[in-house]
Amino acid sequence: MEKIEHTTVSTNGINMHVASIGSGPVILFLHGFPDLWYSWRHQLLSFATLGYRAIAPDLRGYGDSDAPPSPESYSILHIVGDLVGLLDSLGVDRVFLVGHDWGAIIAWWLCMIRPDRVSALVNTSVVFNPRNPTLKPVDAFRALFGDDYYICRFQEAGEIEEDFAQVDTKKLITKFFVSRNPRPPCIPKSVGFRGLPDPPSLPAWLTEQDVSFYGDKFSQKGFTGGLNYYRAMNLSWELTAPWAGLQIKVPVKFIVGDLDIVYNIPGTKEYIHDGGLKKHVPFLQEVVVMEGVGHFLQQEKPDEVTDHIYGFFEKFRTRETASL
Amino acid sequence: MEGIDHRMVSVNGITLHVAEKGPKEGPVVLLLHGFPDLWYTWRHQITGLSSLGYRAVAPDLRGYGDSDSPESFSEYTCLNVVGDLISLLDTLFAGDVFLVGHDWGAIIGWHLCLFRPEKIKGFVCLSVPYKPRNPKVKPVQGFKAVFGDDYYICRFQEPGKIEGEIASDPRRFLRSIFTGRTLGPPILPKNDPFAENPKPDYESIELPKWFSKEDLDFYTSKFDKTGFTGGLNYYRAMDLNWELTAPWTGAKIQVPVKFMTGDFDMVYTTPGIKEYIHGGGFAADVPNLQEIVVIEDAGHFVNQEKPREVTAHINDFFTKLQNKNKSF
Repeated sequence: MEKIEHTTVSTNGINMHVASIGSGPVILFLHGFPDLWYSWRHQLLSFATLGYRAIAPDLRGYGDSDAPPSPESYSILHIVGDLVGLLDSLGVDRVFLVGHDWGAIIAWWLCMIRPDRVSALVNTSVVFNPRNPTLKPVDAFRALFGDDYYICRFQEAGEIEEDFAQVDTKKLITKFFVSRNPRPPCIPKSVGFRGLPDPPSLPAWLTEQDVSFYGDKFSQKGFTGGLNYYRAMNLSWELTAPWAGLQIKVPVKFIVGDLDIVYNIPGTKEYIHDGGLKKHVPFLQEVVVMEGVGHFLQQEKPDEVTDHIYGFFEKFRTRETASL
Repeated sequence: MEGIDHRMVSVNGITLHVAEKGPKEGPVVLLLHGFPDLWYTWRHQITGLSSLGYRAVAPDLRGYGDSDSPESFSEYTCLNVVGDLISLLDTLFAGDVFLVGHDWGAIIGWHLCLFRPEKIKGFVCLSVPYKPRNPKVKPVQGFKAVFGDDYYICRFQEPGKIEGEIASDPRRFLRSIFTGRTLGPPILPKNDPFAENPKPDYESIELPKWFSKEDLDFYTSKFDKTGFTGGLNYYRAMDLNWELTAPWTGAKIQVPVKFMTGDFDMVYTTPGIKEYIHGGGFAADVPNLQEIVVIEDAGHFVNQEKPREVTAHINDFFTKLQNKNKSF
């Protein structure tokens, strides 16, 4: 871990903390909520030995990167703008891209609006959902799953932060990371996240040191930065009207754990396996469902995930020109 | 003006008024007006292009004429307006289109080319060249630094202010806009905003040949109804637009482009612009810039001042592009 370099890059009006290691074609790793560059610690070390340069930022709102206060600063366009600025400052024309959770959403959109900057994408957990022309995303979730659906509960500024604050941060992170319940997370206000059951013990893939690392960072930063991504979902919908109906034209491999909460949202399996995803992502080349694996697949089964990513990018490597 | 179809189309959460003429199977030409303008600016091109076999389509952009005007200036970014146009194209036509843009319509056109290049066969841009986004300088700040506080874009920023000053008399404001002959960056001094323009007994001053009383009546009737806030909101959203277009910092335009301007257009005669257009900077940012045409003895509204020439140039360019495609 000491070999990982930590730098601060000025991009798109913010300071972005970036972890990087290795030399070769660049892979950009995008974490989700509530996560950090650290999610990719295993991949960073592995890919450095495999002849790639692995780069994992703390996205805007997280960890050691800046966190502007207002949700209006967290549209997809802002985050993609940060990443394009990052690539420009590194002098990288085209990258290999890996995304997880919110990072997967950002990755889909980077491919949609700047396909010229991405050679290939391995995306995990969260599929690309085409824009509904008449129904905003938060409104759609509310209609489908009710007011207690976690995305709806995250909307009101300050409200869920108050709920989170009632739980020790390390415990809260553990609750998020270790949940194996595949039902859509609905958390009534009376129960709150504080009311979620304490995990009996840490799984093998998450150590005390890991939990302390996350706990420290989120105690310092709070969760508002990360929550602002959810609060900007309807705004992002408005602003992405120009790409309504457009396909994503980048080669893609999609990986998800069969116990992932997201994979088990009603309709998702059919969408992935019966051609829905492929209709919107015509160059979707491989879909991998990892058995017995939950949401944080890159931490739960790091070597397998690394192998999947490596195998896919190696196919494109001979054509890849950007090397650092 | 006969034979022009007018319809209201539901797009991107609003309703757009669209004027259209030409054979249904003809190649679509999407014509985008600027400020303070309307579909009507394209009346000659609509007639000319349709008679040449094109299907000419000219909307009132959001904020103008018979189209909706959302309340907040934040709904007038290029993301919003291009969203309207993509929705319009997807609703009414299949495939890619030819594009013509003037003034703010040129800026929208550039963004349409950035966001959805595969939708645009070719772009004829009038008056306003492309400038890639500068990550270090916000647009309004940039204009203020170069041209001062009284530069028109700076004067347009504060909601309600310029409406009170000069836009309270739409006919007078429109007259000064369409007949103005001042070169260089438009400066509107706070105590005398009409400075170089028609004096108090302005109705007695003759209109130019290309702009009749009926034309002025038409514009006045529309802007009397809507006011200018819708159009001004485009300027008020410039900094927000800059914030939101970070993903395209420094990006080049890849679409085939023909650029045209009148030789005494106030944009063309703004310091630095001629050098940028003719000195290679413009071509570097728009690698597929194929032609630059400077039309003599014409100002900002070149499509109204020299309509036949402009229509011929448009047809010329689009025909060339179509033939290029056919040869494959």
